[in-house]
Amino acid sequence: MKSSRTLGLVMIAPAAIMIVLFFLMPVVLTAVFSMTSMTTATGISGGVYQIAPNSLIALKSAIPDIAAEMAEPRYTIDEAGLKAVEGLGLAPGIAGELRAKHAGEVFTARRDVERMLKELADRPSTRDVKQISEQFNRSVLNTRFDSKEQLFSALDSLGFKLTPEQKETVAKVTYTGWVWTTDNFSRMTTSPDMARVLLNTVLYVALVLMLFNVGYALLLAIWTHYMPPTPASIFRGIWLLPRITPVVIYVMLWKWLAWDTGFISILMGKFGYPPKNYLLDNAYNAWFFVVLINGFIGASMGMLVFSSAMKAIPKSQFYASEVDGASRWQQIRYIILPQMRWPILFVTCYQTLSLLASFNEILLATNGGPGNATEVWALSAYHTALRNYAGNLEYGLGAAMALVLVVIGVTLSLLYLRVFNYGTLVAKPLIED
Amino acid sequence: MAERSQPSANYRSWPVITALTIVSLPLLLMYVYLFLDTVTVKQADALLPSGLTLDHWRFLWQTTEGKANIWQVTVNTLLFAACTTSLVLIVSSMAGYVLSRLNVPARGFFLAGVMVLHAFPSVTLIIAIFIVLQMIGLYNSLIGVILVKAAIDLPLGIWLMKGFYDTVPWEIEMAGVVDGASRFRVWRSLVLPQVKPGIMALGLFSFLSGWGEFILPQVLAPGNQVQVLSVYLAAFLADDNNYDFNMFKAVGVFYLVPVLIVYALFNKYLMNIYGGGSKG
Repeated sequence: MKSSRTLGLVMIAPAAIMIVLFFLMPVVLTAVFSMTSMTTATGISGGVYQIAPNSLIALKSAIPDIAAEMAEPRYTIDEAGLKAVEGLGLAPGIAGELRAKHAGEVFTARRDVERMLKELADRPSTRDVKQISEQFNRSVLNTRFDSKEQLFSALDSLGFKLTPEQKETVAKVTYTGWVWTTDNFSRMTTSPDMARVLLNTVLYVALVLMLFNVGYALLLAIWTHYMPPTPASIFRGIWLLPRITPVVIYVMLWKWLAWDTGFISILMGKFGYPPKNYLLDNAYNAWFFVVLINGFIGASMGMLVFSSAMKAIPKSQFYASEVDGASRWQQIRYIILPQMRWPILFVTCYQTLSLLASFNEILLATNGGPGNATEVWALSAYHTALRNYAGNLEYGLGAAMALVLVVIGVTLSLLYLRVFNYGTLVAKPLIED
Repeated sequence: MAERSQPSANYRSWPVITALTIVSLPLLLMYVYLFLDTVTVKQADALLPSGLTLDHWRFLWQTTEGKANIWQVTVNTLLFAACTTSLVLIVSSMAGYVLSRLNVPARGFFLAGVMVLHAFPSVTLIIAIFIVLQMIGLYNSLIGVILVKAAIDLPLGIWLMKGFYDTVPWEIEMAGVVDGASRFRVWRSLVLPQVKPGIMALGLFSFLSGWGEFILPQVLAPGNQVQVLSVYLAAFLADDNNYDFNMFKAVGVFYLVPVLIVYALFNKYLMNIYGGGSKG
């Protein structure tokens, strides 16, 4: 009876497809993109070859004489130019003679081509010479070539004598699309900005985790534990509000509190302090609010986990301790905390990952400011790749930064699977075939 | 949830209530003023309102120049949240059952994978997803965001449903199979009703998380036609000074009230998820 296996495959297929398409594939692609130099400037599909002024600057250091030549216009007597000359409505002999005697010739200077033109049988006037010579101006500057071959054949027809290596150099420098590179990773390891962001991230995760997700959550759980049921549930309800409130409104509320027209400013104004933006005033204030904003959200999950764990402690232990005359502090110290070890470990592990990846709140509240003070890793990746002040979005570098988070995430969660004993979770299915 | 949570009657509770009230004050203040400010007039430097008004709610019948129509945006949000929810519910209730009860190849691997993905910094995928959606042309369409959001919510959904299926006694299924029903039939008419609390919890969670989702629509569908409320509000918020903050708060209340209603009615179910762990 193999029907249950077939059914299983059919029923799990949608989930598998969605996870592969929108979860695993993006992870793989993040890795792929991180090895490229993709930016807005290069585009996300292939590029073209273009000898632009900035590529000439790059060429100058590699092959200076050729770069200098490329900067100058060249004059080639080719079919397209001859057609154009015919269209000018000059004496018909001019085009004919050029085609017969000079087709394929290349002149490196305007002076040379004009001297040649003046020696033609029809002797065009100086004005006409200028007009004709213009038809043969074949500068490679700012021309776009769709492929390497087109670039090379253009260079050949213009009489540039290049060795294959030099050609490759030109192609490399003039390519406007993205290329494979490991620059992103070396930039990440060497840039002082990145070091700063890394430090911010560690500080942010550590502060929020210690102070709120674990510390304050534990305090909340213990406080509500020692309370009559009604106020306890009211307070738990209040502390769950930040979690269920859409993040945009939640951050807006903090801004209302901290802005220069906000509540704190008005309140302090009553005591004679001038209003100011407490949120973005200086780095310390910004950090204070960033930690509070994220901490208030994080406190709720810890509170729920710890509360339910405390509820599971047998009441008799509390009664017994009271008979022995234990103070409330002694109850907390010797009964509650020792039995909280496992939940605390769980919350710490779990929230580390959540905090590492979360940046919505910081994005909306300070956007990494003032300066770069509250820019954390995830936010920085977002800024680099998707919302850049400079306007040039560096997809490749951003993907590389995201990849770092992905690697940390996978490593940590595999570690957690170990710690929290994955084996018991994958017990054999209840009914087999 | 709170019944008999008191460990003993030996202690006075007013000191902790006072302490907790003080630390909860900023939160209370923010939420109370959020509602208050939308229906009252207040002088610029006053702490207390001086009169009632409905003027801040005029966005309901007036569309601001250059902004999307609020009803269009609301419909988009609803559509986004509802589609994501149904997708997550259907897909994860099937996959969860398979992982809990049926013997498929690579089951353990799949289960571990789901665990890892669930604890995964999913927002970091957004860069790759952005580039892919641009390539395939689903950028700036609701369908793209819905699929992505549903996929990101799936690991939690599958994991949660698996947990709920695990608690269903397998005699129920045995009975069905013995009576000659197919496994699919057994799942649909016998097992599924047993995990209603799980479906409830996951559905509510999905809906709330879709309703509040910000970064995905912001990046993947910022256009006026497909804008959702969070993006609409964030545009206000980014524009530092030139707006009517009270009207902005009114839009916020308009956006928040459905959440609060859902939460007030169904928080029993939701606790299953928030206790077990969502991100944040």
